[in-house]
Amino acid sequence: MSALRAATFPAAAVRERAQAGTACVFPDLAEYGQAVFGADPARLAEQAADSLDRFRLVPPVFVPGRLAKLIELAREPTYRDVGIESAVGGFRSAMPVYVSAFGSTRTASGDLGLAASRQAGLLGIPLVIGENVMPVNGYGRLGGDAGLTLVGRIRAYADHVPDGIGGVVVQQSTEDADAEVWNCVYSDPNVQHLLESGRLGFELKVGQGAKPGLGGMTVLTEAAAERLAGAFAMDRLFGGATDTVLRCASPGTFTEEILRQQVRLMRNNFPRARVWVKLPPARDVRAAARVAWEAGADAVTVDGAEGGTGWAPLAFLQHVGLPLGECLRRIGEHQSCLLVSGRVWEGARAAKCLALGASAVGLGRAALIALDADARTGLVNLAECLALELRMIASALGKYHVAELSREDVWLPGE
Amino acid sequence: MVLMRSAGPSAPGEHLASPVTRSVLTIQQHMLIAARGFLRDRGFTEMLAPIIGPVTDPGARGAKQVDVDYYGHRYKLMTSAILYKQASLTAFDRIFCIAPNVRLEPLETASTSRHLAEFHQIDVEMAGASAADVMLLAEDLVRHVVRQVCAELPRELDQLGRDTGAFAGLLSEPFGRLPHASAVADLAGLGYDQNPAAEIDWAAEEMLSRKAARPFFITGYPKGSRGFYDRESRETPGRLCNFDLLAPEGYGELCSGSEREHDYAVIIARMRETGENPAKYGWYLELVRQGIPGSAGFGLGLERFTRYIAGLDFVWQASAYPKVPGVPLP
Repeated sequence: MSALRAATFPAAAVRERAQAGTACVFPDLAEYGQAVFGADPARLAEQAADSLDRFRLVPPVFVPGRLAKLIELAREPTYRDVGIESAVGGFRSAMPVYVSAFGSTRTASGDLGLAASRQAGLLGIPLVIGENVMPVNGYGRLGGDAGLTLVGRIRAYADHVPDGIGGVVVQQSTEDADAEVWNCVYSDPNVQHLLESGRLGFELKVGQGAKPGLGGMTVLTEAAAERLAGAFAMDRLFGGATDTVLRCASPGTFTEEILRQQVRLMRNNFPRARVWVKLPPARDVRAAARVAWEAGADAVTVDGAEGGTGWAPLAFLQHVGLPLGECLRRIGEHQSCLLVSGRVWEGARAAKCLALGASAVGLGRAALIALDADARTGLVNLAECLALELRMIASALGKYHVAELSREDVWLPGE
Repeated sequence: MVLMRSAGPSAPGEHLASPVTRSVLTIQQHMLIAARGFLRDRGFTEMLAPIIGPVTDPGARGAKQVDVDYYGHRYKLMTSAILYKQASLTAFDRIFCIAPNVRLEPLETASTSRHLAEFHQIDVEMAGASAADVMLLAEDLVRHVVRQVCAELPRELDQLGRDTGAFAGLLSEPFGRLPHASAVADLAGLGYDQNPAAEIDWAAEEMLSRKAARPFFITGYPKGSRGFYDRESRETPGRLCNFDLLAPEGYGELCSGSEREHDYAVIIARMRETGENPAKYGWYLELVRQGIPGSAGFGLGLERFTRYIAGLDFVWQASAYPKVPGVPLP
């Protein structure tokens, strides 16, 4: 039995997909011909709380896009003719999906992180490596076994990714700027192949979904805390009986000018790397996204308040930050690359995000759970389900590339 | 100058015994003597720069700093002496040092012919000076050193095949001054797409350098391209009061300098704009809070300057023990 739990997430469905693959896109096959189906009212009520779930995808009768595809193919197109290869933050990706950074928790720092690298590589989708990996697991250049270190994860990805597709994005936030993660990666011989083929990026972490306004948090043993005491604040909150300490990173201070200049400096210092900026679900998310894009960021990633793999205070999980749907609404029309994450695990939510202005969706918790369910092919299976659903949905909407999904394809009840 | 991009340093014995190396190191010695004499005559005190410290210059484009385990504290080898130069002005108004620097440069710099992971700078700092003041000083210093070497070592220059006629413009005319924005426009005219918000990149610098007949300054780099200590223009926000000095004939950048920021609150904000964590600059910020004089200064790359005077294909030829980025040499 697996150890990883995710009580606030449709974990059972994700596990099922990770283990059984695309059969799970449909109801149980044994029910076929024996039952009638339809939306589950209990699920609908549950969805009302999540603004993105309240949207419905609504196909039209008249489909000029299908006619164009019919003319191109000289036969009626099907969902299998839908193109899903996408431009994701300066990379080519096999589908409009990337693996977002996992939070600073024990769950993500072990073998699952390495499995994520391998399978994201196999899928040909970008992978973000979290800011926590280097301080917690090390860099891995000196010494024998790269294993779980930053270099180990980059290498696991590079060894499996097909040529000309995908990319690795290395995250850094305020306090690990001290460790110069980006400088280290940029000048590393192990990474040159990705760099030279335009498949290395750096993500500036401005904030995150689960606890907007706070920095990263990890629970450490006293011994580990002592080792990191110079770099991070430690808070002994868990009572005298435990041997555990809360490690708190600072969220970092940003103004418009600070964000603008940090992005410019990244482009100046690492001209051959892609630049991503990760924003929290903040009330000024639109203004922040615009500053980042105008300063030259290849992508802005927004983590909805429902997102998050890492440890966060309950008050923040329940009450702080905008849901992803509201982030998308506030950002509104734009011509740049917007990447979003937050409870994404299947094709319908992904399609809604794409229709509302995202270029791709990030898998965080869903990826971790899928890998936990099946470390060999869990993420691949999950992503293949998502891709199949995206193809079906886009074709139903009369569109034959996922990039064509737009606001007209979704309906918000009451609008 | 013909570039042979594939050539690298030979083994230390062979490199040191080569007549070329001997001539180059002789020239370098005379350059140092000339530079020291010039700066002393101008009232500068020579100081010895530190080699390690809790922080160093973060403003080196893409380069990695080298960590040192200093009794359990993470220290750095100096990438430049800038923070210590500002601090040193609390002792003397005009200081200089011949400072060793280590920067783990990105691997792509191994083929620029002008990057070393270990190098030296003639580092100069002057209290109460403006960027314009120290540009004039750098110009006079370069001219003085070139004149001395040409006068004292004609045989060595001849053996290296260096035509001293190349210095005619340098010795007789003022150096040009080209604002960064004009440099970007010139490059566009040459069909080169230079990011206007960034440093002039290495290939672009070489193109501008090839067109020039004598050394010239590029001035007013955009914010976001340099360290937090380069002062932002109060008149033109977004522009820094800084400069690079480029040699002609394709040799490219010799020297970087600026007027320095010395206002505590501005420095903190600029640290954040450059992605730095102010907490690690404790000693420096404490000093700034107490008050350091306004100043301007520059660092003139000794090996690059030597390469230019001696007319060498590669900067590594100007080092007895060259460290080409990414190449493990002794």
